[in-house]
This record gives sequence, C-alpha cells and structure tokens, in this order.
Amino acid sequence: MSMLVRYITFVDWLNFKLGRGAMYLLFVMMGVLFWSSVTKVFFRPSLWTLEMAQFVMVGYYMIGGPYSIQLGSNVRMDLLYGSWTDRKKAWIDGFTVLFLITFLGFLLYGGINSTIYSFEFGERSYSAWQPYMWPVKTVMLVGIFMMLLQAFAEFFRDILKLHLGTAPTPPHHLIQQNPDL
Amino acid sequence: MSYEAIAMLMFSSMMLMLLTGQRVFGAIGFVAVVSAFLLYGTGGSELGFTATMKLMKWYPLLTLPMFIFMGYLMSESRIADDLYRMFHVWMGPLNGGLAIGTIGLMVLISAMNGLSVAGMAIGATIALPELLKRNYDKLMITGVIQAGSSLGILVPPSVVLVLYAMIARQPVGQLWLAGLFPGLILAALFILYIAIRCRISPHLGPALKGPELNIPMTEKLRLLRAGLLPLFIFFSMMVPFLNGWTSLVESSALGAVCAFLVAVLRGRMTRRVFEESVRKTLGISCMFMWIILAALAFGAVFDGLGAGRALENLFVGQLNLNPWVIIILMQLSFLLMGTFLDDTAMLVIVAPLYVPLVKALGFDLIWYGVLYTITCQIAYMTPPFGYNLFLMRAMAPPEISITDIYRSVIPFVFVMMLMLAILMVFPELALWLPGYVYGT
Repeated sequence: MSMLVRYITFVDWLNFKLGRGAMYLLFVMMGVLFWSSVTKVFFRPSLWTLEMAQFVMVGYYMIGGPYSIQLGSNVRMDLLYGSWTDRKKAWIDGFTVLFLITFLGFLLYGGINSTIYSFEFGERSYSAWQPYMWPVKTVMLVGIFMMLLQAFAEFFRDILKLHLGTAPTPPHHLIQQNPDL
Repeated sequence: MSYEAIAMLMFSSMMLMLLTGQRVFGAIGFVAVVSAFLLYGTGGSELGFTATMKLMKWYPLLTLPMFIFMGYLMSESRIADDLYRMFHVWMGPLNGGLAIGTIGLMVLISAMNGLSVAGMAIGATIALPELLKRNYDKLMITGVIQAGSSLGILVPPSVVLVLYAMIARQPVGQLWLAGLFPGLILAALFILYIAIRCRISPHLGPALKGPELNIPMTEKLRLLRAGLLPLFIFFSMMVPFLNGWTSLVESSALGAVCAFLVAVLRGRMTRRVFEESVRKTLGISCMFMWIILAALAFGAVFDGLGAGRALENLFVGQLNLNPWVIIILMQLSFLLMGTFLDDTAMLVIVAPLYVPLVKALGFDLIWYGVLYTITCQIAYMTPPFGYNLFLMRAMAPPEISITDIYRSVIPFVFVMMLMLAILMVFPELALWLPGYVYGT
C-alpha cells in the first residue's frame, strides 16, 4: 500500500510541475500568432508561424492533460454519477478507469510506431517550412505517456480509497502557499 | 454483422459507458479504439494516434484557447463591470429597463468571447443582486441572465461554431457571420418578451424612481464610454479578419492580446486574476481538446461504416419522410438528449451523427450550423443538466433556489424555439451576411 501512496504522490507531483509549465505555453502561442499577424500586415508573411503555433498547442494540451485531470476539469456525465456516495464512485471509477487506460494505451501504441517511422525516415511536414515531424511526435508521446501514468494514479487512488478510506490528493496547496494568491 | 448493426452497437456501448460517469473523453475514445481494433485488426490500432495528428493539423482549433482565455480574463478581472453600470443608468427609468439592459450587456459581452461563462459571471454576480435590490421579479431576471449569457455561443466569436466547423468541414468565418444576425434577432426577441411582460404586469420590473435618477449628464456620458471597451476588443479582432489582413486564428490572438492589455492598463491584472484565468483556460482547453480527439477517432470509425448513409436510407428510403420533418425531428431529439446528456459531450457526439444526414438531405450546412448552435443554447439551459444551470447555481446569490433556476428558463426556451422556427422558414436571415461578405 505504501508503494501505491509513493507512486501517486510522485506522479501527482511530476504532472503538477509539467502541467504548470505547459499552462504558460498559452502565452507562447499568443506570441507566435501575434508575430504572425505583425509580419503579415507589415512585412512578408512568415512561413513558420502557423505550424509552430500548432506544435505549441499540441504541447499545451498533451503535457497539460494530466494536470487537467488533477484539476477535475474533464467532464463526466453525472446523470447517475452525481448522486452516488464517494465510496460507490471509487468502486465504479476503479473499473471504468480501465477504459481510459485502454484508450491511452492504444494512443501510445500508435504514437510509438509513428514516431519511430518519423525518426527512421526523417519525416517532414508537407508545407513550405518543412519542419521535421519527430520533435512534435515525441512531445505527443511524452504527453500520452504522462496521461497514462496519471490514469494509473487515479486507479490506485480509487483502490486506496476503498481499502484505507483515504488517498493522497494532488499538490494544489503548492500554489496556495503564495500569499498574493 | 451488418454495418448498421455495428454502428448501432458502437453508439449504444458509448452511451452505456458515458452513463458510468467515467470522464467523457475516456468513454468515447475507448469505444473508438476498441471497435477500430476489432474491425480492422492491427492496422486499426493506430487510428487513435491518427486522430491526434488530424487534430493538430486542423488549425482553427488554435482559436479555442484564445477565446476561452478572453472569457476567463473578462470574468476574473471584471474589466467589463462598468458596462453594467452604463445600462443601469441609461435603461433604468423604463419599466423592465434593467432587465432589457442586461440583455444588451450580454450581447456586448458575447461579442468579446466565445463561451457563456463570462456573461454568466457578470450577470449572476453583478446584475442579479442589483436587480433583486430593485424589486425585479426573481424568476424573470434569473431567466434573463441565463438566456442572455447563452448568446455567447451564437454571436461571433463563438467556440461552439468553431467545433461545429471542424465536424462539418465548413469555413469558420462564414459560420460566424451567419450567427451574427440570428444572435441579434434572438436578443431582440428576448427584449420584446421582457417589454411585453413588464407592460402587462409592471411589478415584475419596476422602473427606477427618485434619487437614483438624479445622475448628472456628464456622469451619464462618462459611463457611455464603458461601451467602447467591447467595441474596441471586438473590432481589434474583426476588422483585420474581415479585411483579410490576418487569418481567423491570428485575429483571435489579437483579441486575446487586446483583452489582456486592457486588463493590465485598468490595473485589474492582479496575481490572483492571472493565476485563475490562466489555470482555468488550461483546464477547459484540455477538456475540449481531449474530447474532440476522442470524438474524431470515434467519427473516423463511424464514418467508415457509412453510418450517415444508413441513417439517411432509414429515414428517407424506408420511412419515406419529408426532409423538413426529418430536420424538425432531429432538432427535437437533440433537445431531448440535451435535457439528460452532458452538453459538451453532446456537442461532439450529435454533430458527427447529424451533419452527414443534413448534407445528404440537401440542406445548407452553414445554415444548419446556426440551428445547431441555437439548439445547443437551449440544451445548455434545460434542466436537469445544463452547463448554464451549473454555472448559475455556482454563481447566483443564495436567495435564488434551484427550483427558481429551473423554472426561470421556461419562457426563454419558448422564445428560442420560436427563433428556431423563424430561422427554418427564413434561412436568409443567417445566410445573407456571409453571402454578402464572401460573395457566394
């Protein structure tokens, strides 16, 4: 059991840090697109901005994904779920989180194949800028992998809740330590 | 097994899994990847990742975090609060004037963001207490705020239309222009409804009297300036976009930069506001992106089975229904689902089912996008499950009970259904503006 606690604490902490970092990619996206409009209006349009913004967006929601799970942003249909007790929720979630893990497993499998391909053949995007595809695919892989780790953390959290009645929670207190917030 | 049977099986197993309360994207994605694997073997197992690549390449989705950020900036930093005071001072002397002003406020806020959350935040926390203090009818104004804030997804910029555009493969710019007039007409219908109700029974919205009216003209004019803010943000996006100087995505970033600068210049960008708006933007953007990713995978399998044609065959070929009857039935079933399904999920599940059918029936997909959005608005408001209902419950003052919130939307739902009917009879209301601008 203490192994599970350690796993959850570590994955929660790691994804918290990664997600907090990814959160600020919003401004990178804004900056790239802003630069894109400036060059388009005043100079020659740049070739790289749109694709670059797309790549940053991938990092944003892939690396930020596990943090959004910690924040509880991912909607559930709570027609029945909303009225269940915490214990019942943990029971059902303990099973259904396996759906999520299966989905992410398939994503990871396809991602690994596709990334190996783009490494081997030096795959480039079909555009004027022609960037290599392996960096963004690697980011996707990392994101999906961290998502998978987080899904397992949720699974273990449910098990702990059922066995011990409590489980570690994500480290949200780390942002509240700042007195300005 | 026939393809129709497989499609039905996929759909019903997805419904079943959604009911277990697992995260929506997990449930949809699971059905998608497993059925692809069972249907196509190892070749099908890469379908999930293919959807990820498709998602990345669909560049209007970049507008999503921008508009969500603008919405949260506005609701957290309260840069639009002066707008309420503007309407308060100018509309107060009329019967029901503050309620009418609130609709006007919602239209302006809708022009600055693509979700209903910003309108809801300002409506429920600023307008609602003020209106209650002045003895406006609780039920009416609760409905006003919910109905008004739902305009956020119809008046451009609109996040729902971006999602629809992705699913229906239609240009976002045309869809936005198509949403503009129906949005304004809908607002006018709301205002008409309020005015008539308050004319018949003035106690629902008593006019302001006495000292509150003695506001010097200079102050009144100063407040009018507050209205310039949304216009500034709206035009900073729309002018470069409509003139073809910038693309849609670049314009959305310009809008976000402007909103951010306004918040900083007004001194409202505290660390708390910054943290809350940036964090919530990540949460909501991730939610949307992962659901769309799962829905894309689901749609790929579903389309591969020819589900759209099967549906068309069923309705037109076997049941021999008139296309208009089918469209009306579709909207009704959409509304019915909206009462008990999660709205975001419905948005991405219903559209891939219905859009191929609408297209097969020969209707304009831009026009249908507007119908679809208004139907979504209604679904957002209908109990027991609605995005706006939840927001309202979280934000409204305690004297507004759940029953009040549920009952308050009824007349406005009827007004919106009237709008749906008007739009079906006169499709030009939506289509003339994109036709005029794009010359089609």
